[in-house]
Amino acid sequence: MSQSLERYSRQILLQHIGVDRQKLLSNSTVVVIGCGALGTISSSYLVRAGVGQIRIVDRDFIEESNLQRQILFDEKDISENLPKAIAAQRKLQVINHRVNVEGIVTDINYSNIEELTKDADIIIDGTDNFETRFLINDFCVKNDIPWIYAACIGSRGVVMNILPSKTPCLRCVFETMPQIGSFPTCNTAGVIGPIAGIIASFQVAEAIKILTGNDVSVNKNLIDIDVWETKFRQIDISNLKVENNCPTCKLHNYEYLKAETGIMTTFLCGKNAVQVMYRNSGNIDLRQLEKRLRAIADVSCNDFMLKFNVKDHAFTVFVDGRAIITGTADPGTAKGLYSKYLGM
Amino acid sequence: MIYLDNAATTFPKPECVYKTMDEFLREKCANPGRAGHHMSVETEQEIEKSRVTVARFLGIKTPERMIFTCNATDALNMGIKGLLSEGDHVITTRLEHNSVSRPLKGLENRGLITVTWVNNSDEGFVTADDIKSAIRSNTKLIVCTHASNVLGTIQPIKAIGEVARKSDLIFMVDAAQTMGVVSIDVEDQYIDMLAFTGHKGPFGPPGCGGLYVGERVELKAWREGGTGFEPENLLQPDSLPYKLESGTPNSVGIVGLRAGIEFCIKEGINKIKEHELKLAMRLLNVLNSDDRFEIYGSLDENRKVGIVSLNIEGLQPGDVGAILDTSFNIAVRSGMHCAPYIHREIGTFPQGMVRISPGYFNTIGEIEETIYGLKEIADRSIEDRN
Repeated sequence: MSQSLERYSRQILLQHIGVDRQKLLSNSTVVVIGCGALGTISSSYLVRAGVGQIRIVDRDFIEESNLQRQILFDEKDISENLPKAIAAQRKLQVINHRVNVEGIVTDINYSNIEELTKDADIIIDGTDNFETRFLINDFCVKNDIPWIYAACIGSRGVVMNILPSKTPCLRCVFETMPQIGSFPTCNTAGVIGPIAGIIASFQVAEAIKILTGNDVSVNKNLIDIDVWETKFRQIDISNLKVENNCPTCKLHNYEYLKAETGIMTTFLCGKNAVQVMYRNSGNIDLRQLEKRLRAIADVSCNDFMLKFNVKDHAFTVFVDGRAIITGTADPGTAKGLYSKYLGM
Repeated sequence: MIYLDNAATTFPKPECVYKTMDEFLREKCANPGRAGHHMSVETEQEIEKSRVTVARFLGIKTPERMIFTCNATDALNMGIKGLLSEGDHVITTRLEHNSVSRPLKGLENRGLITVTWVNNSDEGFVTADDIKSAIRSNTKLIVCTHASNVLGTIQPIKAIGEVARKSDLIFMVDAAQTMGVVSIDVEDQYIDMLAFTGHKGPFGPPGCGGLYVGERVELKAWREGGTGFEPENLLQPDSLPYKLESGTPNSVGIVGLRAGIEFCIKEGINKIKEHELKLAMRLLNVLNSDDRFEIYGSLDENRKVGIVSLNIEGLQPGDVGAILDTSFNIAVRSGMHCAPYIHREIGTFPQGMVRISPGYFNTIGEIEETIYGLKEIADRSIEDRN
């Protein structure tokens, strides 16, 4: 075994891997979109496992409340006010200098996804919102790139492989996005670290199988785990592909990639503020939202709007789910804040 | 939806505008003045007919002095930057839109020109006397909005024009808010340059506008290039409109603009203005008697266009606009309306105000619904912590 492969000797010993398949791994390019709990864990394992190239895309900066579960970051990163993608790049490069690690600080959207995922053999979902996941799903189905969906909240997490043309896609499972602003998020309902560790580990295991051509072993089910209740479910979703009229993998509409649906942002005249809204939105229950947000902020609400402040940002939410977020003039930051506190 | 943002752009357009543009784009739209084939000549004719229509509408005697532009901003830049030279002094007002104030401020910032910003009254008017007092030996240009896009107040342009003419200065008017609503006659009002956009009062589509360049004005070419005229000349031709109209024109927009202006003429601009003002005055009269509403600018219906600007006590204008949209399905504009100077003057900087601008196709019933919505919002205002 050559010196460069020695560090991977333990996984090469696995009968499903071996030297040849390790080389496949070393020639592969992985793109991790979103570098929070899931993204830090998955990218760490992927770099240690010896993928050839990894690109990490994230728009956020590290905050103290991230450290409880986002394992690549530490207090020094916060004192340096580092973006997540940059801090991750630095750490990962030290872990394995042979891997080409690229951290990109940006908001991924329909206009840049093609460039940001260039040469990707697989895309790992580390996002915190359906908007971006549906975009990734459109892109991957259209371009036949495997991706691994995952999400965590509270003590529960889900993970699922999407192998275009072979397995159901994300929109076979979730046809429409939940009404924006209407569901709990890690910032409002909390999350514990171990569930992210488990779910991200599943993502990496599946990624290694896919990248090394171990197609037979690739999981076809949706995995649903509650680490607090100690419950593990595998949901058979294979029928969904046959049964439904999926807008993405059956009808090939790619509405998110074509920006025909989804989030729109706009600057508001005269304010350091961005308005975030959803095309074709229904109405949300402001009183329900008020209840959910009370755990984290002082909230005031009437029939027309709801207001709360988080750190330097004032949120004003209206009945169609749109929000005016002050304290930023950056659409990506505003989308991030929306996603964290209201859900998209 | 109730659309009350006509000061930003009129909506809907008269049916004839949609129809004319659709037919033109399908059947006639070649590149004018370049080829000589039938369609090309036909397109050129359509543009020239439009030029004549616009010229007549504005009292312009020589249509070739009516230059088609992309919009009012384009026309204002063309006029201001094409006219001024190093050392010139310009007089303007604090009522101007950024499309006037930014080109001036930019030139001033580079040390090329000096600018005097004349104050307005609390009601939103400047006077010809104040403008006159600002004249210096090196003053070249007076540039003034015809009606404030924030307050809707109509400025005494004829009196200002007279001042300019007597002192041999160039007088430029920004008619973005008045063309199609208030009568304009460049001869009678001593206007040397008039800038307008097609998509507001004239009911045209976005992307077309115009600049009248009077005989007293000599402009430097704004953008040089193909004109379909004097192609053998290595330099930009000197004759109008070619000097200022390089590149393939927005012929579809221009014929749409003509259809819109023909609609204005057919309906009568006095009738259009009266209708818009009636709706605005209804809003003003009801809301002005309610202490929770602060109304900005003059209430004198003889001196304004149909723009109502207000704030509700304790509420951010952006929130009021969003509530009108989300809970009442009413579209208005909130914010600073690209005119930061006037907001500093009237104390609404930087949050701005809510601007409600009824159009010719709005009804009194829609205004009543808007009044209801605004009062509901004021009734249920919550503590504002922004």
